[in-house]
Amino acid sequence: MLGRHQTIVEKIVSRAAGKDVRAGDLIDVLPIDKLYFNEVIAPPAIINFEDDFEPVFSETRSSSSQKEIVVFGPPGQGKFKLRVFDPARVCFIPDHTVPSCSVKVAQGVNLMKRFASEQGIKMYKEGDGIEHTVVTEEGFVRPGEVVVATDSHTDTVGAIGALGFGIGTTEAEYALATGEIYDFFVPETFKFDISGDFRPGVSAKDLILQILGTVKEGGCSKKVAEYSGDTIRRMGMDGRFTMCNMSVEMSARTGIINPDDVTSEFMKDTVARHPELASELSSSFESGSRFVKSDVGAEYSSVMELDADTIEPQVAQPHSPANTKPAREISDEINVVFIGSCTNARHSDLVEAARILKGRKVHRNVNLLVIPASRLVYNWAMNEGVLKIFADAGANIESSNCGPCFGKHMGVLSPGDRCLSTSNRNYKGRMGSPDAFIYLSSPATAAASAIEGKIADPRRYYAS
Amino acid sequence: MTPSIEGTVTVKFGDDINTDYIIPAYLLQEAWDKKFFADYAFERYSPDFIKTCKANTRKDNIVVAGKNFGCGSSREQAVYAIQYNNVNAVVAESFPDIFFRNSINNSFCVVKVDSTADIKLGDRLDIDLEKLVVGIDSGSAQFQKRILMSGEERDLLVSGGRLGRVRERLRQRLLAST
Repeated sequence: MLGRHQTIVEKIVSRAAGKDVRAGDLIDVLPIDKLYFNEVIAPPAIINFEDDFEPVFSETRSSSSQKEIVVFGPPGQGKFKLRVFDPARVCFIPDHTVPSCSVKVAQGVNLMKRFASEQGIKMYKEGDGIEHTVVTEEGFVRPGEVVVATDSHTDTVGAIGALGFGIGTTEAEYALATGEIYDFFVPETFKFDISGDFRPGVSAKDLILQILGTVKEGGCSKKVAEYSGDTIRRMGMDGRFTMCNMSVEMSARTGIINPDDVTSEFMKDTVARHPELASELSSSFESGSRFVKSDVGAEYSSVMELDADTIEPQVAQPHSPANTKPAREISDEINVVFIGSCTNARHSDLVEAARILKGRKVHRNVNLLVIPASRLVYNWAMNEGVLKIFADAGANIESSNCGPCFGKHMGVLSPGDRCLSTSNRNYKGRMGSPDAFIYLSSPATAAASAIEGKIADPRRYYAS
Repeated sequence: MTPSIEGTVTVKFGDDINTDYIIPAYLLQEAWDKKFFADYAFERYSPDFIKTCKANTRKDNIVVAGKNFGCGSSREQAVYAIQYNNVNAVVAESFPDIFFRNSINNSFCVVKVDSTADIKLGDRLDIDLEKLVVGIDSGSAQFQKRILMSGEERDLLVSGGRLGRVRERLRQRLLAST
């Protein structure tokens, strides 16, 4: 189909599959570029991988008389060991409930460490950060790649123009063995075309909440959400991560943004921190072969236009991320505020919250938790004095992990608690008790609300 | 999976049942055995779920739901939690992709129909994946609904898990590399 206009999704899948595909096609085998695991799913996936594929490795070894195929494994042990498809394209990131919050979690993390060491897989440390943040900061995931990981918020990597899918334990275990996923339907794309400038106090989180409130939880089912328009072009990478991250909340297959000069700068910064990646990342910059974008004239299954100028600070009320309302219409009291998660705990998120909290105190009824998205963000915020602003205001600052968003660690909610969180899900029971109430907002709204002890419109803190 | 699945509707849910509701996150890391999760299915959302499934001595429960069943987190434990409560199938108005794929990988039957409003608790269902119809017997009335599934999707479901195929691909690759 030479000359047909393609979406970025069709281009990335065509390249990976080695044939020209279009939305709706079913592909038997889709080779992936990258695979990563957290400590929630890695332990059972490792165990299943060993159980399911050990017979294949044993059999192929005995049928090939000469050399061993590959042997990873503890030295001195004669037993034939399994091998993952390509250790350089896999990484392990313990992030959901670390430092370990239970014996079983600690055991799981240790199992990952052992397996990673045997296989030559990169294993990050507890506190290095939330997986989706780490893989982009570290240059592991790059524009134009097909990426799978054992977490639905793998859509986050779409911000750099990668095609990221959350997968379950079984698909991940199979991908670990072969580097492939199977029976893949090439998704259609829903384009969100956003123009104009945000008003002060409004950010990417308000935009994505506004979209969610409109299309609802099932509104992008089986489709990829592509965010475009001049607002997105002017948006920094942190805001783009926030947008793509919450695509799954409208049941999108994933979210994606066409790479541009902002992406290119982000990749250059990555190389500056990791000079050893310079040659590998050369195709990830503007004009590089992996820097693919949707064609003008590509086919979209739906298009929605939005005007950024008219967007107000939004809050998702209990118990759905799509249950949104302008912050100015809500004044519910709250007693917990969480600034963190893979949605909103990066550099500019913390700066925005700190700007409001500077010189002010957290309300006496509020427990404010601040958890930076990664060690890089944490150390940066420490060196720049941003953590000091939070500490002076009376916040609890924790090492980098998913925090109470997972409902198990570092600030689990009691019945009756009312929490405003910068995370992505406020389902009943998500952060602890099913009798708690969770609201979602931007970091600015969260900071203003932490000061006032009730949900507050942050715009009054922006008056000059 | 057999192309014909029968059962009794014992549980009915509305729209947007997410996987956090099916199995809360705090449990996910506490066991590496699939069956563990059955004892906690819908713990915080519908605490009667397990009792209801157990009360059906025929052990042929069918869960009926509205739109977007299984949305949210990619946790495959949500499939195990339902499946190991003697649930033969979920019939809903739609499923997001991750849950659908996780179900297929566990040979768990999930079928989509245009509306579940007229399917009631106690109805007997006969899911025929070959003809792509669900027969509904409510005692007083019998009717059918089309299963809204492409032939390709149906084939994936009937062929069950993919383990055999993945093993074969791995075997070929390992042999080629020696």
